[in-house]
Amino acid sequence: MLRLSPITAKKLQRFREIKRGYYSLLIVLTLFFFSLLLELCINSKALIVKYDGAYYFPTYSAVRLGSDFGLQGSDANIPVNYRDLKVEFSETQNKNWVILPPIPYNAFENNAFNGILRPRPPSLEAMHLLGTDTTGRDILARLLYGFRTAIMFAVIFTFLVFVFGIVSGCLMGFFGGWTDLAGQRLIEIWSNIPFLFVVLIINSIVPSSLPVSTRIFILMIIMVAFSWMGLTYYMRTGTYREKARDYTAAAKVLGASSVRIIFKHILPNSIATVITFIPFTVVSGITAVTALDFLGFGLPPPTPSMGELLKQGVASLTIAPWIVASAFTSLVITLTLITFIGEAVREAFDPKKFTIYQ
Amino acid sequence: MNQFIRISLPVATAALIYLGTGCSNKSDSDDSDFEPFDNSQDMADHFAEHSDFFHFLSPSDIPPGLEWENGADLQEFSSPEAKKGGIYRGSIQDFPRTLRIIGPDANGSFRPYILDYNLMQYAHRHPNFTEVKEGGFHFFPGVAESWALDYEGKQVFIKINPDARWSDGEPITTEDVSFSFYFYQKEHHKQIWYNDWYAPATNYSHITVYDDYTFAIGLQERRPNMLNLVLELVPLPRHFYKEYGPDYNQRYQWRPVTTSGPYVVRESDIKKGRSITLTRHKEWWAKDMKFWRYRFNYDRMRFEVIRDSAKAFESFLRGDLDAVKLNLPEYWYEKLPNDSPLVTQGYINKYQFHNDKPRPTYGLWINSSKPLLDNNDIRIGINFASNWDLVCEQYFRGDAIRMRTSADGYGPFTHPTLKARPFDTDKALAAFAKAGFSKRGSDGILVNEQGQRLSFNVSTGYESLKDVLTILREEALKAGLEFRVEILESTASWKKAQEKKHEIHFSAFGVSPEMYPRYKETYHSERAYENAWTEDGLPQPDRKLKTQTNNLQLIAYKELDEMIEAYDNSEDVEEMKSLAFKMEEFLDQDASFVPGFILPTMKVGAWRWIGFPDEFSVKISDEVREYRLDWMDEEKKKETLQAMKTGETFEPIIKTVDKYAPKSN
Repeated sequence: MLRLSPITAKKLQRFREIKRGYYSLLIVLTLFFFSLLLELCINSKALIVKYDGAYYFPTYSAVRLGSDFGLQGSDANIPVNYRDLKVEFSETQNKNWVILPPIPYNAFENNAFNGILRPRPPSLEAMHLLGTDTTGRDILARLLYGFRTAIMFAVIFTFLVFVFGIVSGCLMGFFGGWTDLAGQRLIEIWSNIPFLFVVLIINSIVPSSLPVSTRIFILMIIMVAFSWMGLTYYMRTGTYREKARDYTAAAKVLGASSVRIIFKHILPNSIATVITFIPFTVVSGITAVTALDFLGFGLPPPTPSMGELLKQGVASLTIAPWIVASAFTSLVITLTLITFIGEAVREAFDPKKFTIYQ
Repeated sequence: MNQFIRISLPVATAALIYLGTGCSNKSDSDDSDFEPFDNSQDMADHFAEHSDFFHFLSPSDIPPGLEWENGADLQEFSSPEAKKGGIYRGSIQDFPRTLRIIGPDANGSFRPYILDYNLMQYAHRHPNFTEVKEGGFHFFPGVAESWALDYEGKQVFIKINPDARWSDGEPITTEDVSFSFYFYQKEHHKQIWYNDWYAPATNYSHITVYDDYTFAIGLQERRPNMLNLVLELVPLPRHFYKEYGPDYNQRYQWRPVTTSGPYVVRESDIKKGRSITLTRHKEWWAKDMKFWRYRFNYDRMRFEVIRDSAKAFESFLRGDLDAVKLNLPEYWYEKLPNDSPLVTQGYINKYQFHNDKPRPTYGLWINSSKPLLDNNDIRIGINFASNWDLVCEQYFRGDAIRMRTSADGYGPFTHPTLKARPFDTDKALAAFAKAGFSKRGSDGILVNEQGQRLSFNVSTGYESLKDVLTILREEALKAGLEFRVEILESTASWKKAQEKKHEIHFSAFGVSPEMYPRYKETYHSERAYENAWTEDGLPQPDRKLKTQTNNLQLIAYKELDEMIEAYDNSEDVEEMKSLAFKMEEFLDQDASFVPGFILPTMKVGAWRWIGFPDEFSVKISDEVREYRLDWMDEEKKKETLQAMKTGETFEPIIKTVDKYAPKSN
């Protein structure tokens, strides 16, 4: 069992009392965990197929061809369209059936609307709850899969930024002297490199033969490389402060190693300030990846993303307002929720609440 | 919070970059920066040096018995109802980077307005009467008054119209003709294409000047389109280019060109980064000439820079622009549908005009030098797995038709029966299986024995057509083929293809309405590899790719080379046709080009006061504005603006002129 120091427990208690932030956290966590199970809710692959007495669960299995379910002709050799299969099974009088996810579309397929690939307004009948985009792809699917990518991206991004920021800040603060001097100059130079140009340049040389996940990872590395500096300032000052305290000196006298002092003594005492930045870093991660997608330098097409949807929506504002409405609303909601969490965390961790300066 | 600011910065920076470009008002070249220069001596030296190319004779040397013609019996294609006057308001995406018509950056989107659509050639091909006759097509006179083809002697004689004047009033004479060759052959303009095309040994053999108005241009080969090669040239104003020298590109950067055409650019109308206006030359010498009257009707044409096409469209709806292209289905059907109030009330009219001309080659260009793609079966499979039919029907809503070959629209030179392969998953799978790809991986993509996935990179520079690729991608997955879509910035994408680094490239070559397709540039092995063959005619084992050529498929066959050479040297139309068909069949077997789509119409939306001839008939045009047949009715404009206030409406006009609709397959 994790043992919390009384002060941390108090902070968490305080956080829980700030209802707005606390509920926002619950909603975001729910959404996050829900998005991990997205394949079961929004997918063109069936949940369960019963065919000739056997049960199939195609969601997470390898692609199945039409011949597996007795389809004939050219349909036999291509991946099954489960929506068509369901119709076919229900028309024939046998015991075969298909259970589809509630929203039976994936984020990539182009669904013609009256024989034409065009935006379709939200429709309950076709189960396009938020309509489709300009080439007939389901917006809800693209939005939620895009949300998952963005939030995953932002979480990993935040983790990496914190690891780099905290470690380098601590090192500079703890060792001081030349390490500090060199580190600070390096940061000053590094912060003056224009981020967008680097993204443009790297984007143009990354071979597109790499899988999408690798390309997303490269984008993340670039973003992390240009985002860790901000944290170092707080960690550096925090470390300087803690280093001068008596308990650090005591630990030193007792013969503790630098590593031990940094990680056991200084870090736990100075990290509180930077913790409050976590939600805001997540927000900036989402904003950045959305902005880059909007500008066309982000995730490679046809990866679903909120930025890409926003861009499409703006271009077809007059003919398909539901595109921009969905993308904008969901972006605002996501960012607001996370900002609420951030505010609550900041308030709960406010040192003025728990310490008295004399 | 520092974090937050740092990462949100890119957005602001990008906006700044966007606003920042093109706003500079500083003139790059001020005429006072340059020393006066006179190239007369250099020109005389050039003529002397190439005395076998530049001949200067006397009128008595003109061979007798020439059959002079002037196209007078051809039908006019403009409308006598056209009204002169008015200011046309249009938009351009980018401010021109130069006003030169040749040299770096001159090939931009503004070029047509000062060059292609404006400058007069010696004679112009009739846009509708497209039958082929000896020596080429049917022409109507431009700068030339008449011309004569000396078929056997491989030369064309031209008499310049003595009334022809430059926009500054100077007469057009043979001095301008011989100067034009001097201009192109020199390297000061730094565009190698011109040096190559006009070099004494390439296409032209000589120019002979007889007097101030009569000259002849000789050709190297007796090609079936000899007339085109000569009559479609333009003279250049000798007196204007007196200072043409090594610093031409800087010196002439912003000098409005003295022109033989109807529109001139006034120095005061160049608002850098914002707008540029063309003004009709009131005393233009050809204004009453047959084929030229009733055209070029606006007094002024103002082009404002609007970078975003969606924004330009909104400006049009507000009435700030007079007309706008509606070629993409999204605009024609969704943003300005037939039942939109502006259309039903008759304020905005919609037109679509069919054309019939060589088509830009939209399609997938497969690099057959890449691993797996060097396998013919895989290429055939890719052809069957590309669902262009769906793109034509569902994305373009039937407005596009499937391209048949890479040389569609050349009339008798286009293969009469050959068709592109249809989308057929069974045939695609069979072809892939033949190449060893018969098993599907867990994601549905085919894999071979060695575990290679059937996955290729498809790159393009067409941001606006990226949906086409995502549709093709989804469809190809059915056949176990993966297209990895890569949308690049257009220059970067073109560079990639020119360096032959692409696997599959989605692109098109723009083609002018020539008589017959060109094969050498795209299919000859010398455009694919350096030293393609060994002495025994076998492929060199370590041959090096040749970059910066149009052979994007890296096609290299001895057999094809021979056909191309025979075709290029042929002087017989029938032989050329049969060779062209044979080559198309050969290329179809090779399957390294997947024919895409063609758009057979030009669609345009225009406010009610813009008029078009009833039978808007320019068959070989792909731009409504190319022949400048439209006009402005200022009475109607007043009436319409008034009516919009009072709520009065007019008869809606949604018109299709399908006289030149090509028969679909």
